Amino acid sequence: MSSLGFGLISAAVLAIATVGFTMQFAVTNVLNLAYGSIMINSAFVSYYVNQHGVTAWVALVGGVLTGAIASWLLNRFIYTPFQKRNLAPITVVIVSLGVDLMGTFGLQAIVGGGYVSFTQNQGSEYHFAGLLLSSLQLIIIGLCAAVLVGVHGLLKYTRLGKAMRATSANRNLARNSGIKTNYIISTTWLISGALCGLAGTVFAMNAGVFEATSAQLYIVLLLAAMFLGGPGEPYGAMFGAITIGVATEVSAAYINPDYKDVIAFVVLIAMLMFRPFGIFGSEKTN
Amino acid sequence: MPSYGYYVAIILVYASVDAMACLGLNLEFGVAGISNFGYIIFQSAGAYAAAVLSMPSAASSNGGFQKYVLGWHLPWPFPWIGAAIAGGLLAVPFVFIVGKRLRGDFAAVGLLVSAVLLNVLVKNYVPFLNGDAGISLVPAPFQSHFNPQNLSYQFAYGAVAIILTVGVYFVVKLVTESPYGRSLRAMRDNDIVADSLGKDLRKQRTSILILGGMIAGLSGAILVQFITLWAPGAWGYAETIVLFAAIIIGGAGNHKGAVLGAILVPVGFEEITRYLPPLGNPELVPALEWVSIGLLIVLFLWFRPDGILPERRRILSGDKNAPAPAPTVADDESDALIKIGDLQKLNFRELLRLGEPVNDHRVILSTNALTKTFNTVTVVSDVTIAIHQGRLTGMIGPNGAGKSTTLAMLAGTLASSSGQIFYEGKDITSMPSDKRALAGIVRTFQLASEFKKLTVLENLVCAIPNQSGDTFFGSLRGKRYWGTEDRDNIERAKEVLEGFGLTQYADAYAGGLSGGQRRLVEIMRALLAEPKVLLLDEPMAGVHPNLAHKIGDQLTKLCEGGMTIVMVEHELSIMDAFCDPVIVLAEGQVLAQGTMSELRQREEVVEAYLVG
Repeated sequence: MSSLGFGLISAAVLAIATVGFTMQFAVTNVLNLAYGSIMINSAFVSYYVNQHGVTAWVALVGGVLTGAIASWLLNRFIYTPFQKRNLAPITVVIVSLGVDLMGTFGLQAIVGGGYVSFTQNQGSEYHFAGLLLSSLQLIIIGLCAAVLVGVHGLLKYTRLGKAMRATSANRNLARNSGIKTNYIISTTWLISGALCGLAGTVFAMNAGVFEATSAQLYIVLLLAAMFLGGPGEPYGAMFGAITIGVATEVSAAYINPDYKDVIAFVVLIAMLMFRPFGIFGSEKTN
Repeated sequence: MPSYGYYVAIILVYASVDAMACLGLNLEFGVAGISNFGYIIFQSAGAYAAAVLSMPSAASSNGGFQKYVLGWHLPWPFPWIGAAIAGGLLAVPFVFIVGKRLRGDFAAVGLLVSAVLLNVLVKNYVPFLNGDAGISLVPAPFQSHFNPQNLSYQFAYGAVAIILTVGVYFVVKLVTESPYGRSLRAMRDNDIVADSLGKDLRKQRTSILILGGMIAGLSGAILVQFITLWAPGAWGYAETIVLFAAIIIGGAGNHKGAVLGAILVPVGFEEITRYLPPLGNPELVPALEWVSIGLLIVLFLWFRPDGILPERRRILSGDKNAPAPAPTVADDESDALIKIGDLQKLNFRELLRLGEPVNDHRVILSTNALTKTFNTVTVVSDVTIAIHQGRLTGMIGPNGAGKSTTLAMLAGTLASSSGQIFYEGKDITSMPSDKRALAGIVRTFQLASEFKKLTVLENLVCAIPNQSGDTFFGSLRGKRYWGTEDRDNIERAKEVLEGFGLTQYADAYAGGLSGGQRRLVEIMRALLAEPKVLLLDEPMAGVHPNLAHKIGDQLTKLCEGGMTIVMVEHELSIMDAFCDPVIVLAEGQVLAQGTMSELRQREEVVEAYLVG
């Protein structure tokens, strides 16, 4: 049962991260492989704010802002200019790998290689339906629920959300229908970047100790969750993240914990091979 | 200064290993367009294979302090041969990921993830390859006869490594500069179009992944028997990015560029940092190294995307001294000035291998209740049509009527949701598009689909079917095997080019032509694929009306010569002038068919489409 509890927390962190990641892919068609490096940079900003005597939960705002601003800058000054050149989609992916190296190791050059951790207490423990959860873990789950409800409300009930969905479905058609797609894309990067920053910070809090390269392979879990639900599908991302998060932790209880992420890899490769548009997604027209 | 000599010998070996790995990756990425983000595991697989093939059995060596499989204790060169085989075999499962229909960036991510997965597995499973600790005490070749620490031994090792790298250079060059290499580059520039011209993408990608994997495996073997140890930590996925950086900086698609990149990036970075004094925290220098590699990738892709040594433009016209024609800006006005040469002088029947004209107007291509559904939207519904041999059949309808989708299903670019397609009496519904192209059904595309980084002449020649140099093994047999035939093919393409009045652009990159010129290139290319049925998707879109009518005249002549053409077109004047019969589609269904004058009499057709 405790593994299910861990699974829920991992799933909550992953869900926040994947929703942001898939929103970026939906509106810009870019697989932003630098996402993990922005997560960990945001976590470190939160950490430094926290080190200056601010409680971790307030410091988290610093991480959210870092994620939002860094993602916006990344899109505005790197991805958009490259996309305007009409290059093969793979070029932008390679660029994102380059940015990932710069982000991760630039951070490492500044903060060094040591592990750090937030100054906070785990809070009291609570029993829920047989699960033992700390207040930290409960807050993470609460944040995740808030994010999912918020994104749902945004997409479903606001003009901005509708414009985002329209831009994602067909950018040219959206532009011709009078939607300011550039504005929509920038806003999406701000929002998804904020989610990235939030995810990075709660990822680091949940991990306990972390260092500059801790999120380097997190991108694999993100990709697995996104492809499981269907690339560019926010609701699919929620489903995918929860499935992958729970499955990896629960499987850790039965097999060697070192292999726990293997299930994510296998899911991702199987999805790419058999249903690259996801379980719920569908084949797209050109 | 003996230490100086050792240093040079070591550099020679490292440079050869990196250069060889970069040549393999350049063949995959720069030539065939496969973004193999997992490339490094092919190198490590080769290294492990060489290690366990050359080592004595795990139990007998040093009291069995490390665990590994095999331990066959084979003499050189068998471990290296085994390494190449291991690299090639490892490529086989990857073929499923780079399969035909997966977008390039998705496939790249799949390869990246597979590489990470294998690394995790090997690190954590001790009995296979000693887990995270890796394997040490890998024997150097002939170490019982010579002292591997000897300077002359190390130089000899370096010399063998260089010779093998030069050999690899000639092999990749042989493949790249053959008709097969041309097809690989066509696939790199636009895989869907290459597929529609009869190129078997899966086969092409398989052959290149295997060859690239063998090269990577060999390079790993050379490294591991030199440094005599190998640990999984040394092949994290980021190492692949270093090799990508080398190729992007050196010049993707140019094998000399790959070698240059190998010397500048992996070797250069490694050596420069040796001379840096220790700075700040111990992670600082390696971290800055990674930052520089990331930065270099981004800067090069922005400022010099073709690298230091860009891919060479292939001059096929034979006029080596011809100045490169200035790239024309897309300009519709300039299209009006294109003078189509006197096509009547061309012997189309011979050039296009049309055979004797049969013109019996039999049904050559037909559909039965053809339907296409995307998600829940039915785009084409129950379309039953018959295309008659030797006719120029038009297909019109308002936007969204399903014309292009129908055409794509006829060509096999899109799979139908239900219904059948018959060609020459045979059911071809499940035949893949490349096979249909070889059987004689060739299509063009609505959007520009030239192979940008192939010259106009290369665009044409690569479409010619059944070239003996256009197979993997054919390409390895060299120019003596396919050279004569290729010269004939080039001459054929040049004649067609002359007929269409574009001779002066023969050696220009097709990507630099104007819109109308690119349309012509596409039509010529489709013709050289020797179609029996030619499917044209809005060939006149964006083409000046004068030119459009000239093209129309030629299409009519082709039909008289025995070709069957189906043309989707919006321009009614084109339909009036050239097409008979015309099929009207509306909302995914066949609304009417007949001659244009008949159709104009019919109220429902006029209402659906002809008004305005």
